[in-house]
Amino acid sequence: MATQDPLVTSTTDIVVELSGVRKVYRQRVRSARLGDLVGNLLRPRIRVVEALRGVDLTVRRGEVVAYAGPNGAGKSTTIKLLSGLLAPYAGRVRALGMDPVRDRVRYVGRIGVVFGQRTELWWDHPIAATFEWKRVVWNIPRPRYERMLGLVRELLGLDDIFHTLARELSLGQRMRADLALALLHEPEILLLDEPTLGLDVLARRRILTFIQELNRERGVSVLVTSHDMAELEQLAGRIVLLHEGEIAFDGDFSELRRVLTARRLLILETSSAEPVALSGAELVRSEAGRHEYAFDPRQVTLAQLLEQASAVTDVLDVETHRAPIDEVVADLYEHWLDRSAARTVQTPSTVATGGESA
Amino acid sequence: MAEHVRRVLRLWQLYATMDLLYLARGPQVAITFYVSDFVTGVAAVTATFLLAERFDGIGPWTRAQILFLLGYSLLVRALIDIFFNYNLAFISRRIGRGQLDHVLIQPQPLWMALLTEGFAPVTGSGMLLPGLGLLIWSGRELQLAVSPAWWGLFAANVLASIAIVLAFEYTWGSLAFWAPRAAEEINSDSWRLLTQLAPFPLDGLAGLALVSLVTIVPVGLVAWYPSRALLGIDSPVWAAELALTLSAVAFAALAVWLFTRGLRHYGHTGSTRYLDYGHRR
Repeated sequence: MATQDPLVTSTTDIVVELSGVRKVYRQRVRSARLGDLVGNLLRPRIRVVEALRGVDLTVRRGEVVAYAGPNGAGKSTTIKLLSGLLAPYAGRVRALGMDPVRDRVRYVGRIGVVFGQRTELWWDHPIAATFEWKRVVWNIPRPRYERMLGLVRELLGLDDIFHTLARELSLGQRMRADLALALLHEPEILLLDEPTLGLDVLARRRILTFIQELNRERGVSVLVTSHDMAELEQLAGRIVLLHEGEIAFDGDFSELRRVLTARRLLILETSSAEPVALSGAELVRSEAGRHEYAFDPRQVTLAQLLEQASAVTDVLDVETHRAPIDEVVADLYEHWLDRSAARTVQTPSTVATGGESA
Repeated sequence: MAEHVRRVLRLWQLYATMDLLYLARGPQVAITFYVSDFVTGVAAVTATFLLAERFDGIGPWTRAQILFLLGYSLLVRALIDIFFNYNLAFISRRIGRGQLDHVLIQPQPLWMALLTEGFAPVTGSGMLLPGLGLLIWSGRELQLAVSPAWWGLFAANVLASIAIVLAFEYTWGSLAFWAPRAAEEINSDSWRLLTQLAPFPLDGLAGLALVSLVTIVPVGLVAWYPSRALLGIDSPVWAAELALTLSAVAFAALAVWLFTRGLRHYGHTGSTRYLDYGHRR
């Protein structure tokens, strides 16, 4: 479900551009064996981890891009590169026409960053004090500050907590305040690293709705990472899937579904508590006469399955669904994992001994 | 330059207001803060004070001169607490806990953030009063001839002492760019070493030990050597001042060099460790 305003997304103004970006980390491999003590000290084994392997990515002004992938795929590294916190090992990172590291001071004044596991709020101060702090440190002109403050207070419902100490807020309230804080200077790009991590459904919905409105009304470009695919689908028109530091998919969600799988779900309610075995469909779960099957419509049609079921039991009700995007992507991640494991068995991971090896 | 000065003053004003608001949350908080800081400050100089009282001075130092030395060391510590709170003096904690990220996403030069973000003139001033009290008391007992030039030297010495302590802390603290956890321990010990030994006169020490304590571990430059210059023990005064200033510049240069190298390393590796306490709470 794309939620973007076509007027906003139609522009070709590129705000983020990653070209052939590589990011390499070196990790010491430490043996726990006493016999390796001297070796660990004198000739440490270094494992080279390529967090990003030649990533090419562009984001247009006003675009909302979901940036997803399994743990360790390189999502947070990308956000840090775009925040000016990390420099690439190779390749080029440009955003708003600037180099995020070299032009850091000018650049970070035009972006907003939210790290889901961290807070920018002053812990022992009310939200209002942190907002005032932001106004001064970011040197936000008073009229702009007042305008944005009014907007975020209304849309994120901050009035009730505006004078509450940050440490007394719930996770959802804190996240809303953090998001509002990131927007006070009216950034052109919003980088969100798992902004809804640990939030309940209500808090999550509120934040997602806000980001959508912000994008629609103010044309803010958003790059958001999350593990919740349904959430990303609700938010973004485009999804970039990252796998082992490489872009494995870049397109919209419907295309992702089409590319990955055509899997559908069939739910049958029958008079019998025992599930019926259906040829061409896999029983997913069964509970109190309600049986859930997964099937591929390219292999077997819905009519054929219903015919099979009706032949052996009374079918009381029928529902069909597309497979949830979470399951689709989980299947994909599982497939990737299997492939990686197979590759690891064939060729052990790169391990260098001592010195610069990347 | 003028713009930078205005900006630093504006930021100090902001942080001073926040600090006042923090303390003004309740009387218990305020009292606890001041009492604990006062006790810590007094405890830090008590050993030297009692020795001076018992023996009517230590070595060539009279009792009144010792009081001046204690007051000076407390003043230096108080000013560091006031200007470099929130772990900005213990920079290893900021670096090693991944908290530099919070500073780097602010649209201002890093030096400006490091110079202003730790300003806590209210909660950090617990040792200021005992320090000033000891200085005034000892000054009267010593009947110091305080001229504008003496005040100038006093201000220069205090600045040099602060620079040396901070440079020493930043030198060791910068190791956190490479070894986050270990550097926190080292930085805590280096701080204890400087602050606990600073109030002691080092006159009786043998050559090598004395040289070590004004070079490798510059304990002697925190209070002892500047106090000697201010009390006229070392003459000519200009030579002592020059030595102190050059030492401060050398230590600061080393710290800046190492910190800059570390920051470059941080830009390549980032921080794999993150703790949320110690910078804004």
